[in-house]
Amino acid sequence: MAQSIKITIPSDPRYLCVNRKTLQQILTLFELPEELTGQLALCVDEACSNVIKYGYEGETHHTIEISYTIDNDVFEVNIRDYGKQCDTSTFQPRCLDDVKPGGLGTFFINKIMDSVSYCTQREKGTLLTMTKNLKPHMVDHKEKDDA
Amino acid sequence: MKVNLHSEEKEGVVTVFIDGEFDMAASPKIRNFLAPLFHENSRSIIVDLSKVPYIDSSGIATLVEGLQWSHSKGKKFRLTQLSPTVKDVFEIARLLTVFEVFDTIEDALQGV
Repeated sequence: MAQSIKITIPSDPRYLCVNRKTLQQILTLFELPEELTGQLALCVDEACSNVIKYGYEGETHHTIEISYTIDNDVFEVNIRDYGKQCDTSTFQPRCLDDVKPGGLGTFFINKIMDSVSYCTQREKGTLLTMTKNLKPHMVDHKEKDDA
Repeated sequence: MKVNLHSEEKEGVVTVFIDGEFDMAASPKIRNFLAPLFHENSRSIIVDLSKVPYIDSSGIATLVEGLQWSHSKGKKFRLTQLSPTVKDVFEIARLLTVFEVFDTIEDALQGV
């Protein structure tokens, strides 16, 4: 799937599930383990939630553009917003020993994805790119099926 | 996607049933449903997650708040019947040992 699949959703939490379902359907085509599918959906969801919360500061009438590519067994997602540019160096996952509400989204993203990069070198908004090598999981999944 | 909530009270134990995805859209509604329960006379609150196929960090945050409310009010707060996907998120966040998590409602009712 070298060609991208693109979806644009409003910056409204109600539409997060639309994007999630789209991604889950795409990943189903690649017969990935359910656990990995869930984790990738979680990361994309958390990133979109952060766009709504911090980039658009809760305003629901903006857009979030998401594109998915799987090429050479590498999953790549680009999330583009046109909101406030945040200081990405402040996006630090919190210590898990400190049990408190909030702050886990960035932790999930950094823990699950292989690479995460924020590009703010544009007039408005941010382009977030995240990648995950699917190959080890595909092999593992196939071996389990064959067993 | 709409989330449906209801609760049942029996002998001081309130069981909350959540049906739907526990995401950023649903969390405020679930939080508003849970919060008053901690001010009532019940001694324990059990949250049944068997019909929650998905949870994100806002859902986790809501449950962590519930845990904190339970500590401040001296009530038990237990989770039961986590789906594999939800359990995986708890595992990644290393929260399975922070919460009291049970496989079945019957197990969760023991010792409440």
